[in-house]
Amino acid sequence: MINLAQRDIAHSLGKFVTTALGVGMLIGVVLSMIGIYRGMVHDAMIVPNDIGAQLWVVQKDTLGPFAENSRLHEDLKYSLRGFQGVKEVQPLTFQSIQLPHAIKPVRVFALGYDALSGYKPFVLNEGRAIQTPQKEMIVDDKTGFKIGDKIPLGHESYTVVGRSHKAVSSGGDPMVYLDLDEAQELQFLFSNEQIRNDRARGGVNSSIATVNAFAVMVNDEANASAVAHEIIRWKHQQVFTQKEQTDILTQNMIERSAKQIGMFTMILLIVSSVIISLIIYTMTMGKMKEIAILKLIGAPNSVITKMIVQQSLLLGILAFIGGNIFAHLLYDVFPKTVILLPMDAVKLFGVILVVSLLGSLSGVRSALRVDPSSAIGG
Amino acid sequence: MKHAVISVEKISKSYGSGESAVMAIKEATFEIFSGETVALLGPSGSGKTTLITMIGCITEPTSGKLTLNGNVMYDQKWTISDTRKIRRENIGFIFQSHNLIPFLNVLENVTLVPLMNNIAPKEANAHAKELLEYLGVGDKLDKIPSQLSGGQSQRVAIARSLANNPKIILADEPTAALDSERALSVMKLLRKLAHEQEVAIIVVTHDERMLPLFDRILRVDDGVVLEE
Repeated sequence: MINLAQRDIAHSLGKFVTTALGVGMLIGVVLSMIGIYRGMVHDAMIVPNDIGAQLWVVQKDTLGPFAENSRLHEDLKYSLRGFQGVKEVQPLTFQSIQLPHAIKPVRVFALGYDALSGYKPFVLNEGRAIQTPQKEMIVDDKTGFKIGDKIPLGHESYTVVGRSHKAVSSGGDPMVYLDLDEAQELQFLFSNEQIRNDRARGGVNSSIATVNAFAVMVNDEANASAVAHEIIRWKHQQVFTQKEQTDILTQNMIERSAKQIGMFTMILLIVSSVIISLIIYTMTMGKMKEIAILKLIGAPNSVITKMIVQQSLLLGILAFIGGNIFAHLLYDVFPKTVILLPMDAVKLFGVILVVSLLGSLSGVRSALRVDPSSAIGG
Repeated sequence: MKHAVISVEKISKSYGSGESAVMAIKEATFEIFSGETVALLGPSGSGKTTLITMIGCITEPTSGKLTLNGNVMYDQKWTISDTRKIRRENIGFIFQSHNLIPFLNVLENVTLVPLMNNIAPKEANAHAKELLEYLGVGDKLDKIPSQLSGGQSQRVAIARSLANNPKIILADEPTAALDSERALSVMKLLRKLAHEQEVAIIVVTHDERMLPLFDRILRVDDGVVLEE
């Protein structure tokens, strides 16, 4: 039997492919939106994963250090190291800063860590680690700075000695890494004028030996939850396991953004479905004369239905392929990370097949209602 | 011995109901035999198309009995699928405009119906080529309808109507879009086919110059069918 769908498409190939690519661009946007959501979750976990803590010790009654402000005395690290099962304790500071750049200032998320301890809360892509106290800095390549660049920050000028690749905060800002002492100065050291004023007011100058959190690594044989329980019991601070910190980052922090993207994706999917249905319906309406002739010469309904459904599915498949190409061409252009997972594409493919099938129903319904006598006229 | 391929007994068709009802065909009765060419003549709106669509199993009559090739049509047992099958296997249609499927080439247009009748592709192709050759368009097999002239398209349409070896051909003003020379040539061809292949042909026409080519003339006037 002649494949009518195939012949019809071949007859107006340009029109069909253009339509499919148009729908494909819409599907590409849907795919990119899903990728942006995946990227948000991925970005949120980059820093905690690089830090590699099993436990996070933060200020009591806070969700620090990412979701809420947290301040702790740095010397708490000594007593934390004394807990049974604790292998390593790393004091950390976090702050958003803006670095001057030739084109425009770059907003970054700065992580201060004890560079002398040998601990490296980053993955170095090029260059070397920080050697204190030489005002050195590691930057992510997304900042646009190169190794050897001098960056004025506070009263000092920092030299870029290493670069990481695609290390960003949960907000999508590129990371920079500083030695802890220098990071503490940047965050906690008041200006001379402020210190003088505070003294005049009878206040006490606060110490800059302050950190935002401690990353605690436990021994292999130790139970992280038990260690956390002991720290809470004796030190009266908030302790999160890595899983709890992950939940805070992926549920609390990006929940609204994720919901927003989810809603937008759903709306786009509905719009795509409506457009696919309308296109299929219009395509079918454009063939009413041919359908009437087919009925008149005795074509069974199955032949007509098959033609419409096959065209709908092919339109959906072509649009999906076009959408994938579109999304893969564009994903690197987005300022924030976009992650295109094969499983998301497979699920979307399933949705598009269903939408195409449903979309063809209105076309089939109209086609089956066509009066064959309309081909005769009169 | 010629036999009645089409038997129409007191067929009527009305549209609407009550006082607004319009009788398109009023108790038409006639028979058409195999190998016979019959002209259906009448002014616009007289009911010619309604009559042809009833004979073509497209429009169900309000009353009366239609027998096609021995099968009583519109009996309660007939479904849409059955009537389509009857059309596919027994009736060929030729239209005023050739009404070929624009996305199929000449050969595919002609083989479409036989293939739907489960004729083997090789056999359907051979028969279609034979018909197209006979009708003088055997060199146009790969052309699509838009690449053919009006006369060539109408010849392909005739080939399509014959591809299923029908017992009946229903033609609705098949020469209206052709110049007089080509129109005459097409009508002569239909007459020749009717006689050679024992096909009953009903042609709706306005062109009285063609009438001598028909075996019989049925005149439809205000829904009443009269034999001349």
